[in-house]
Amino acid sequence: MMPSHALTIAGRIFNQVVRDRRTFALIMIVPIVVMTLIWLSFPKEMGMLDYIAPALLATLAIFFGFLLTGISFLRERSQGTLERLMASPVSRSDIVLGYLFGFFIFALAQTVIILFYTIYVLDVHYTGDLWQIFVFQILVLICAINLGIFISTFARNEFQMVQFIPLIILPQVFLCGVLWPVEQMSTALQWVAKFLPLTYAVDGLREIMLQGKSLIEVGFDLGILVAFAVGISLITAFTLKRSAGS
Amino acid sequence: MLDAMSDKLAIEVEKVSFNYAKLKALSDLSLRIPRGISFGVLGPNGAGKTTLIRLLVGLLKQKEGRIQLLGQHPTRQMAHLIGYMPQQHSLYNELSVAQNVDFFAKIYRLKNRTERAKRVEEVLRLVNLWERRNDGIMKLSGGMKQRVSLACAIVHNPPLLFLDEPTVGLDPELRANFWQHFANLNSRGVTIIVSSHTMDDAAHCNRLAFLRSGRVIAEGTPLQLCQATGKPDATLEEAFLYFVRREGKNDA
Ligand SMILES: Nc1ncnc2c1ncn2[C@@H]1O[C@H](COP(=O)(O)OP(=O)(O)O)[C@@H](O)[C@H]1O
Ligand SMILES: [Mg+2]
Repeated sequence: MMPSHALTIAGRIFNQVVRDRRTFALIMIVPIVVMTLIWLSFPKEMGMLDYIAPALLATLAIFFGFLLTGISFLRERSQGTLERLMASPVSRSDIVLGYLFGFFIFALAQTVIILFYTIYVLDVHYTGDLWQIFVFQILVLICAINLGIFISTFARNEFQMVQFIPLIILPQVFLCGVLWPVEQMSTALQWVAKFLPLTYAVDGLREIMLQGKSLIEVGFDLGILVAFAVGISLITAFTLKRSAGS
Repeated sequence: MLDAMSDKLAIEVEKVSFNYAKLKALSDLSLRIPRGISFGVLGPNGAGKTTLIRLLVGLLKQKEGRIQLLGQHPTRQMAHLIGYMPQQHSLYNELSVAQNVDFFAKIYRLKNRTERAKRVEEVLRLVNLWERRNDGIMKLSGGMKQRVSLACAIVHNPPLLFLDEPTVGLDPELRANFWQHFANLNSRGVTIIVSSHTMDDAAHCNRLAFLRSGRVIAEGTPLQLCQATGKPDATLEEAFLYFVRREGKNDA
């Protein structure tokens, strides 16, 4: 049976975001602005942008998915509504799944906007199948959302959460092959990269978009991302404390 | 086997202690609360009222001692029998008044849409906020938020209701309305545990426990507690101070 509480929570999150018009508008517009700025700042020769675009798509998906969910989940904790939910018949996995479903809609909307804008407006070239790019991005998003919920369980307030953003996002940008290939880094750093989900997201998306590989051919990256998403959501559901205060 | 009395008890707390890290919040606390009454947990800030309520609703687990709800060992399956109004408002600020109540109605398994809508209207009329149902929570005053929070706690008609300082920030008229409503719930068999630090509230309760530094220093009906002081016209305020002083002598 479908966890009905999770859907109730997802529905509530949807209402929360949609009722807050400014947030809703920002969620839709900011990805376009960011992508345009990156595009403007890039040298237009030698297909540089074509090479970097898949990595950027993956990075932005992780970045936005992580932020949106992480901050919202933290607010649920600091407003005391999480504690209230914990005293209700809702289970911890309902909460984690509810957040996943709820934010997935918005993260997906962002991803669709970025993808179409990059391909059709900024005219970045790609070879793979559009739907396969899509399916891959959805997995990246699920990872990002779970990561957001997970990290927010370590923060007690908004200030702490803000400190986690550079800690989680920046190293990934530098270590995961977005700007230069992972193989060019020292062995130690390559080892670190092996444990960061963005490494697999960048690698897989590049192979699909640049080399026209299929989802099956990037099965390894895909598998790691699935394992990461499942693993981290299990840990989160397990470590969520009943009481917000203790 | 449960003894005959346990059947009639809504809540039984036996020698419960609870610590936050090194801080002793509750020590060796015992209470027996009969069904269908309003039971007041009275005490100053930091006495352990919120901790006690969190233990009772299952948010915290005691290290020592035993808690029984409605004659049973509390489990997750019993969560739908409990209504909980936390001390802070704990509402979704982006949602409207009605959306907040409706969310909790759904969480507590009121599945049928028309029945749920009817129930949401009923509780919102009860807390006098039906006209404000479409307003966002941000637009409400503190007392109004308090009423929305109460509506969320009672929407599923729970037989056990835990209210953590529900009357804080309410004007006298609303406070009287709240107590009127609590009495109605009691007559339908609902047991209500109310924490408060004002003696105004205490007078409305059927029974009271005075809580101080994590201990129950006295328990009984308001009348019994006042009479215990030995003065014929003692107020509850005086009764509380009397028991605080007596406790001090015992410690010395
Ligand atoms: N989450 C917490 N972590 C550590 N100490 C706490 C926490 N919550 C409450 N306390 C402490 O436990 C004691 C009892 O607090 P509480 O139950 O909130 O009292 P009351 O609700 O009667 O004001 C206080 O000394 C308080 O500082
Ligand atoms: Mg309190």
